[in-house]
Amino acid sequence: MPKNLKNHVCEEALFSSLFNKHSKNLHDFLYYKFGSSLNPKDKVQDAFIKLWENCSNVSPEKAKSFLFTVANNMMLNEVKHQKVVLGFQKIKPKNYTSETPEFIMEENEYFNKLQKGLANLSEAQRTAFLLNRIEGKKHKEIADMLDISTKAVEKRIYGALKKLRETIKEL
Amino acid sequence: MTREELILKWLDNDLSPQEFEAFKALEDYDELIKLSNSLKEFKAPEYNTSEELEMVLSKTRSYSKTSNNWLKPLLKVAAVLAICFSAYYYTTTLDTIIETLASEKTNIELPDNSLVNINALSSIVYNKKKWSNSRDLKLNGEAYFKVEKGSSFTVKTDHGKVTVLGTEFNVKQRENLFEVVCYEGSVRVDYKSKSKILKPGDNFLILDGKYIATEKESTINPTWITNESYFKSLPFKFVLNEFERQYNLIINSEDIDDSVLFTGNFTHDNLEQALKAITIPLNLTYNIQSNQIVLIPRD
Repeated sequence: MPKNLKNHVCEEALFSSLFNKHSKNLHDFLYYKFGSSLNPKDKVQDAFIKLWENCSNVSPEKAKSFLFTVANNMMLNEVKHQKVVLGFQKIKPKNYTSETPEFIMEENEYFNKLQKGLANLSEAQRTAFLLNRIEGKKHKEIADMLDISTKAVEKRIYGALKKLRETIKEL
Repeated sequence: MTREELILKWLDNDLSPQEFEAFKALEDYDELIKLSNSLKEFKAPEYNTSEELEMVLSKTRSYSKTSNNWLKPLLKVAAVLAICFSAYYYTTTLDTIIETLASEKTNIELPDNSLVNINALSSIVYNKKKWSNSRDLKLNGEAYFKVEKGSSFTVKTDHGKVTVLGTEFNVKQRENLFEVVCYEGSVRVDYKSKSKILKPGDNFLILDGKYIATEKESTINPTWITNESYFKSLPFKFVLNEFERQYNLIINSEDIDDSVLFTGNFTHDNLEQALKAITIPLNLTYNIQSNQIVLIPRD
């Protein structure tokens, strides 16, 4: 295993491969957890620059948790406990030619409810649930990413689904 | 299989075709599918990994990591050293100034062990650092030099320049008066265009800009070194000026003629005796008023 041969990530090739492997996951994680208002793309960059600055102290195996922890902490430093609002793509593909105004109105209402429902979920629930539903990640993958057990991921996702449906019904 | 298990499996995208049929049969199938599809609209914005990587790499390359590690502390150290060095250089190359006040004499040793006795109200200026290259000093007032043998030793005054190789001599520079007396070795005096070599006992005196020939000095030291001032045929005002310097007081000589020539000496340790020594020969008397001494002719 080549990764056991090195105990630092100070080589640009290694650093780049780590970036290719983790940056998108890190970005999605930050986005679903904290929303778009805190600019997850910048945090990903900052976290990787931090990794480069500390490259001699971080082994390739530790790099992933280093990145997630650093990025998460940077977000927490900025987050002011406001409700996370996820924007949805406003322009929808016009697949249907027979949309009645009522249908469009109902659709809009449904999305608004969904948005509120997502905002009401806990950070842990929302992150796991959206990584699963939107990014199509298997429970195992999410568990690896967040360093938690598969069971816990399952619980979070199922809990999120339940809570979301309840909120939508209530509204 | 329960409804919850089915939903969980569906969530994990792990339904077999059979299970999928069962899942389809669930009453909330439509709702779940609608929810699931709608959620897709909340997808995170596109993330272009290679583009982002380029940006990060450009940032990490823009600062050289190695130089950052040692350059900063090194610069700090260098700055401190530079300050120390410049302070040291500045203080050591500064001219050394030695000054005496009225009625004060001092002895100093120059870097080459030459000795200088400085009379009252005089100053010498020299540079310790450059001393080994050029033994130059500036004198204002009166001083007696015992110069160690070596390269030329120059005393500069406002009136003229005295150059020696290794000798004992006295330089006296006062307003309108410039006197050099050689006690040992030989001394060269440059005064304006005039230049004279003095042998032991020789005397070079300029009074009011004129050269005055005097007879040979018989003493081996200037008398002021032994706390006496000796004058030979000098106008009385020079005697009074010297008196003021040695005793730090003011002499009022309005009522007397201070241009008469005076030969004699006065001591630096006893005011009354000294006053008598300078007044009696000229048939004068004196009055002490606070810090001022008024000289008046004796009836």
